[in-house]
Amino acid sequence: MPRSLWTGSLSFGLVNVPVRLETAVRDRDLHFRQIHRKDGAPIEVQRWCSEEDVEVDYDEITHGYELDNGDQVTVSDLELQAIEPRRTRTIEIEQFVELAEVDPMYFDHPYWLAPASDDDGAVRAYRLLTEVMAKTERAALGRFVMRAKEYLALVRERDGALTLTTMLFADETRPTKDIDAATQKSHKPARKQVDAAVAVIEALSEDWDPERHKDRYRDRLRKVVAQKRKGETITVPDEDKAPKPAPDLMAALERTLEELQASSSR
Amino acid sequence: MARSIWNGTITFGLMRVPIKVHSATEDKGVHFHEVHVKDGAQIEHRRICSKDGKAVPYNQVAKGYEVKKGEYVLLDQEEIDAAAGRQSREIELEEFVAAGEIDPVHYNRGYYLGAGNDGADAYRLLHDAMARAERVGLGRWVFHNREYLVAVRPLDDVLALHTMRFADELIDADSLDLPSPSRKPGEREVKIAGALVDSLSAPFAPGKFKDSFRERVLHLIQAKARGEEPELPDAPEPAGDTDLMAALEASLQGS
Repeated sequence: MPRSLWTGSLSFGLVNVPVRLETAVRDRDLHFRQIHRKDGAPIEVQRWCSEEDVEVDYDEITHGYELDNGDQVTVSDLELQAIEPRRTRTIEIEQFVELAEVDPMYFDHPYWLAPASDDDGAVRAYRLLTEVMAKTERAALGRFVMRAKEYLALVRERDGALTLTTMLFADETRPTKDIDAATQKSHKPARKQVDAAVAVIEALSEDWDPERHKDRYRDRLRKVVAQKRKGETITVPDEDKAPKPAPDLMAALERTLEELQASSSR
Repeated sequence: MARSIWNGTITFGLMRVPIKVHSATEDKGVHFHEVHVKDGAQIEHRRICSKDGKAVPYNQVAKGYEVKKGEYVLLDQEEIDAAAGRQSREIELEEFVAAGEIDPVHYNRGYYLGAGNDGADAYRLLHDAMARAERVGLGRWVFHNREYLVAVRPLDDVLALHTMRFADELIDADSLDLPSPSRKPGEREVKIAGALVDSLSAPFAPGKFKDSFRERVLHLIQAKARGEEPELPDAPEPAGDTDLMAALEASLQGS
């Protein structure tokens, strides 16, 4: 069983469900270690005191915050935990929403929530919440504190279990008003153009199948490591030239549709 | 105008849409540095050779991938970068899917797209057509020497781009090994819990939720800067309710 990152309770009205949090993401990246070129030995990163020139144990380290005037204030883990003791242990459901209303821009990291105890009452409360959220097709919003940071969290049913996604707070997403989205009237496409572009999109449409998309970067990086191990030279591919925009949108759309129709009738 | 972090072209079929990529998110967290408790001095991270115990200067550091216990294949940064493939300036939308089909766990980091040079008409056309078709385009994006699976979709007036998690990066619910209760939740419990969900349902209004912790951390820092010592309250134990039905009924009455 993977180590849980946080344990506490999920509270829903007066019902408390003891839960543990586990990541829902597996790190598949290739990780490199820093190696000393001279002797090929791995390098360790050690924490040293800049004043005394000695190595410092992890439990002798605290958090420092530099004020505008250059002074420093130190804050301990205990002091940070005491800021919101309730939310360090409880995810309190504040409201339920329709999942489709929550824009994916807010999603951060996905986790699983599992019952933290084998106690029958706890397991039944977990099951009840899972079942009811699946049935009502709603997701729950609440806040909790983990590792000295507060998170907005979205809890919902997925594959018979509860999944929690940490979310960005509204002020952590930038406004879109500074983005040039070509909204001036002169750029509004003609109906015929939109019809043709929609036809291209429909012709290229598939059912979403996440398994079909593979991480080609990871595979290539594995190959690079294998080549290097055999002593082969790694060549860096050339950069693509920037393509020119098509001058005539309608002509490009029509040619695309012709090509798509030709390939589907083949 | 917001600064862009990448310029290139989205293609679908023979269509070319010049775009600029902008950050959509920003970190608002309170950041600390590591400090030695004893003397308040800053902590430095030093690279020490595990063999000779001496500090290693940066130009003596290579990247090693462990192929066997204790055996490393050394690579230069350029060799690692080669795995990104061709440094393409194009994001080809290879297929379109219904937006609602993608489970939110796949969405990783979000960006906004702006219209690139001479690309205003094409940008608007792609936006309006995707909005009408209610579809999201999928393609590959090479950014910072790494290839990503990305989804491009209309978001209000703009186009948004998201890097996506691959299926094999996600952990199944099966791995949780969930215990089963002695009996399933009863019909009445499900009904009352459903009523409670309904009574607590409201439209999603992201601005309603503020990061109160961030504010309080800053207050704590200011109080300590004035020489005040914060009180450390005992954390209250959350009340455990074992009678599920009674707790549900009481909750519904209270809501």
